[in-house]
Amino acid sequence: MNASQTQSKKLRQAGIVRRVIFVLVAVAVIVPYILKPNLPGEPNHWAEEVYKRVDTLKPGSHMMLAFNFEPSSGAELYPMVRVVLMHCFKKGVVPVLMTHYTNALNLMKQVVAESATQAKKKWGKDVQPGKDYVILGYRPGDEMLIVNMGENLKGAFDKDLDNRLTQNMPALKGVNSLRDLDLAMDFASSGTTQMWIAYGSDKFGFPLVAGTTAVQAPDLYIYLPPSGQLKGFLGGLRGAADYETLLCRSDNVAVEGPANKGMPSQSAVHVMLVLLILGANVRMIYGKFAGKRKV
Amino acid sequence: MIFKKATIPLIIVFVMGVLGFATQYVPHPASATVTEEITSWFKVIGGFGLFIGAYSLIHMHLTRIKRRMEGWGYSMFTFIGAAFMIFVGLYNGGDGPLREASSQEQVTQKMMFDWGYQYVFVPCTATIFSILAFFMASAAFRTFRARNLAAGLLLVAALIVMLGRVPVSEWFSLQVFGDKGVFDTATDFIMEGPNLAAKRGITLGISLGAISQALRILFGIERSYMGGD
Amino acid sequence: MPEPELIPDSTQNNRWSPIEMGVLATMVVVFLAVSLWRQTVEGIAHNPYDTIGIIVAAGLTLIMYSFLYRDNPLFKIAENLYVGISLGYATVMGWREALRPEVFDPLFRAPTETVLYDTLLHRSVPIILGILLVTRLSRKYGWLSRYSFGMLIGWGSGMGIAITTHTFILKQLETAIGPFQGAGQHAAVVPFSWPWMTAVALPILLAGIVMIGTVAVLWYFFFSVEHKRAGGALSKLGILFLMVSFGASFGYTVMGRVSLLIGRVQFLLFDWLKIPR
Repeated sequence: MNASQTQSKKLRQAGIVRRVIFVLVAVAVIVPYILKPNLPGEPNHWAEEVYKRVDTLKPGSHMMLAFNFEPSSGAELYPMVRVVLMHCFKKGVVPVLMTHYTNALNLMKQVVAESATQAKKKWGKDVQPGKDYVILGYRPGDEMLIVNMGENLKGAFDKDLDNRLTQNMPALKGVNSLRDLDLAMDFASSGTTQMWIAYGSDKFGFPLVAGTTAVQAPDLYIYLPPSGQLKGFLGGLRGAADYETLLCRSDNVAVEGPANKGMPSQSAVHVMLVLLILGANVRMIYGKFAGKRKV
Repeated sequence: MIFKKATIPLIIVFVMGVLGFATQYVPHPASATVTEEITSWFKVIGGFGLFIGAYSLIHMHLTRIKRRMEGWGYSMFTFIGAAFMIFVGLYNGGDGPLREASSQEQVTQKMMFDWGYQYVFVPCTATIFSILAFFMASAAFRTFRARNLAAGLLLVAALIVMLGRVPVSEWFSLQVFGDKGVFDTATDFIMEGPNLAAKRGITLGISLGAISQALRILFGIERSYMGGD
Repeated sequence: MPEPELIPDSTQNNRWSPIEMGVLATMVVVFLAVSLWRQTVEGIAHNPYDTIGIIVAAGLTLIMYSFLYRDNPLFKIAENLYVGISLGYATVMGWREALRPEVFDPLFRAPTETVLYDTLLHRSVPIILGILLVTRLSRKYGWLSRYSFGMLIGWGSGMGIAITTHTFILKQLETAIGPFQGAGQHAAVVPFSWPWMTAVALPILLAGIVMIGTVAVLWYFFFSVEHKRAGGALSKLGILFLMVSFGASFGYTVMGRVSLLIGRVQFLLFDWLKIPR
């Protein structure tokens, strides 16, 4: 076989291996939806911290939800916002939503509508905009917007997303700046959590928790207790699943929710990848020993 | 001309920088007033800045079409998509962006606007990012080899974390070790031990670099933000 | 002889064979047939907004996934359409949520004179700076944008120095040293007992590992001094900590990407194919 034939053969083999792996990943994701295995998981202690923080808020408390992700990260963070909002509505906490991303606005409205429907179905809570929650919307400025809200929240957002004036809004009664918040949570797909820590909670002294994509999660451990800059966090789809588990347990119902529905597929793909990687390494080590023995 | 083009901007940078720094340490109420006022400016200026990004994208695709560069036909679809969203978002019965739509107009164009977002933008953006799962799996299989100690540690840490963050690891850990929390504990140790150390070191290094860069900007040594002449 | 590319460059072979064209055409027909079957004609007639939307969304999803096989014209069309829709959406929202409430309404739709004067007082400067910012696009007058950028970057840098120092340096150093200070609080606990191990020894051991790792990583990134002997060993230790951290990050990244795929599969199975949840 000459060099160009060897080259073509290697290319074809590489292409086939790549496509086989693509098919395996697709099968690993789809099959659990058909088999529907029951794989409950114990919530992580940082997820429990977030849950406890929200659960101990009194009715009428104000919690800011910074909705800082786009639909590209929606698969991980949408279920998270949904379940946290449901928890807020259940406890009578007033969520105050805002975002640093223009592309998040419709998604924000959608998740609030869905959570409100679920809250009515499960607990009979009928939530009204402007009274039980408020969607402030988007303003440009990133960290300067956070500082502006910290000095004067109603000045930063003089109207909400539906053009209601915030000045005398019942949902924002007693909240004139970020200092007046009982809790804030940043749902982040990029570095906005660090921004909220630096320009928000460290500067204005309100407690902050975070819900982030799994990619962001390893970067946040330095802010967790004992540092205390973040009180807790939910990492990725597993974090959302943990929160759903905790909420369902508090209601003494079977664990359910979109995040938990995705866990069997997540498990299948992870196990498959671990086995593939281990297999490839065993083959490499065996090849090395076989090569040494020949010599 | 150099005074207008270069010196005045540098003076503005220095004065605003010192002001921004001082307001963090001066406890007088005037400091809070100045901070509130100047940070509110960013909302206005940022609004204008959004259109620079839009202009750049439009200019790039227009140039492609004008010069008939490779793939210029696809750029037409960019304009079709943008035109559709801008039209249904701002039409308001022919009055454009200068008035609120009537309730009936609002329903129709809002529906089309929301439709474009929910059924075109959301699936496209979500799918493009989800493709990475396939490429990541393929790349991990082909390149993750424990050729030396460092690569071996990376591999072991990755495998433990991948297993520790899925529920099936509890079942597996119960079968093998008799305790369902082994992988969870190992993952927590990795995240709150070596990972935390490395991230802290990286954060400290980046922060020191950022401070030095900020000082260079304030003193006019770093001028790349000014663009060309 | 150059190494063969392990990922074939699809742009070098843009031609589709007749078999591939046939398969593609068949898949389009199958997609439409399955969509009509699962969404039903009655569903389309009763709720065209959502039903046609789901079919379009599913079609775009599968077109995007066709990239896994090969780059193709349908993918490029969908990609450019998505860029255009995104641009249009951001433009409309930028107007509605930023420029209109902050500039247009306060100036041209002020309800009273007092509000107008208040707007002129507080927003004249940022409006002028915003207009100067846009001059960046002009070759002749682009230098005017330096005034705006100077203000933005100057203020941001000045504020950033103070905040970065506090949040990312001082607070992190305080946390790194804190566990060692806390050891003295457990003076009453009997040394080498189990409570002593869990309350004193293990936290200090972990804090020690973290402290050594932090110093080692910082030393690794310090390139002004050659890393020899003890310095070289510390640098190598830093690399090992970094490798563990990158491994952990990779594990989480896999989790994140797979979750995104799970989201799309959930849409295709439950919303498009209407498989019971």
